[in-house]
Amino acid sequence: MATIRGEQGSVQFDAAGSSNANIVGTRSWNLTTTKETLDTSAHGSTFRSFVGSLVSGSGTVELVYDPDASGQAAFIEDVITAADPADATFELFTTGTSSGSDSVSFAGIITDMEISSTVGELVVVSCNFITSGTITSNLQ
Amino acid sequence: MAAADLNTIRATIEGRLATELANSPAIPVVFHNMSFDPTPDSSWVQCLTSFGSGEYLGQGSTSSAQNRIVGLVVLNIFSSKGVGPGANYVIGKRIRDLYNRVNVSGVFFDAPIGPEALAKPDAEGYFQTRVRVTFESIEEL
Repeated sequence: MATIRGEQGSVQFDAAGSSNANIVGTRSWNLTTTKETLDTSAHGSTFRSFVGSLVSGSGTVELVYDPDASGQAAFIEDVITAADPADATFELFTTGTSSGSDSVSFAGIITDMEISSTVGELVVVSCNFITSGTITSNLQ
Repeated sequence: MAAADLNTIRATIEGRLATELANSPAIPVVFHNMSFDPTPDSSWVQCLTSFGSGEYLGQGSTSSAQNRIVGLVVLNIFSSKGVGPGANYVIGKRIRDLYNRVNVSGVFFDAPIGPEALAKPDAEGYFQTRVRVTFESIEEL
């Protein structure tokens, strides 16, 4: 058994969806994957029954802001892409940076970005995203 | 990106003080692990830099990661005994102004504490106050 600590994680991203690269300075990420359900209960049923339907995901990546850190600017500014074709690709790693291993990957859209500056704290950026298309899980 | 060089951080902190106290009126300054024989009835400053805890700031294990390193500078200001605190506080102001919320070479200094008068000086025959300044540096691996 091997537990994993949060600091082992990382995030890779490419706004054009061609070649993911590490974002330096990520502090946390989270992803919630949701499957819709369809009610298949028939007249006369005593108990409801369902089948699974469309799967989608959403989540957040938090950064310790550094304007010079590799990958941060492209990630933060993707939110202002007009008519976003959801061509950006994400890979969220629980540990390491080997593509396709200990990660979840998908194409998606950054839906909002929040940057905050507070006395006594580091400037941090929080970006929310939604997935678009297939979510590939390599969390085995 | 590289691991922090704590000796460089120390040199940044101490160099800033040495430069300031070399200005007129010059005041002797002594650092950790240095012998010093003060002249009676003179003013002098002792600067003690210590590093404290570190903490994770970001993800990435040993690469593409950030840590916060914190530390403390203790500045003991010694001046003539029995002549009031004024001369000592003049030095205290010079030192306080030197570090107050300053960012030098990636070392962020917080608001200083003191000068605090000590009832029992570390060096006999002097009036002593103490300024403490916490600082932090972000290590980028």
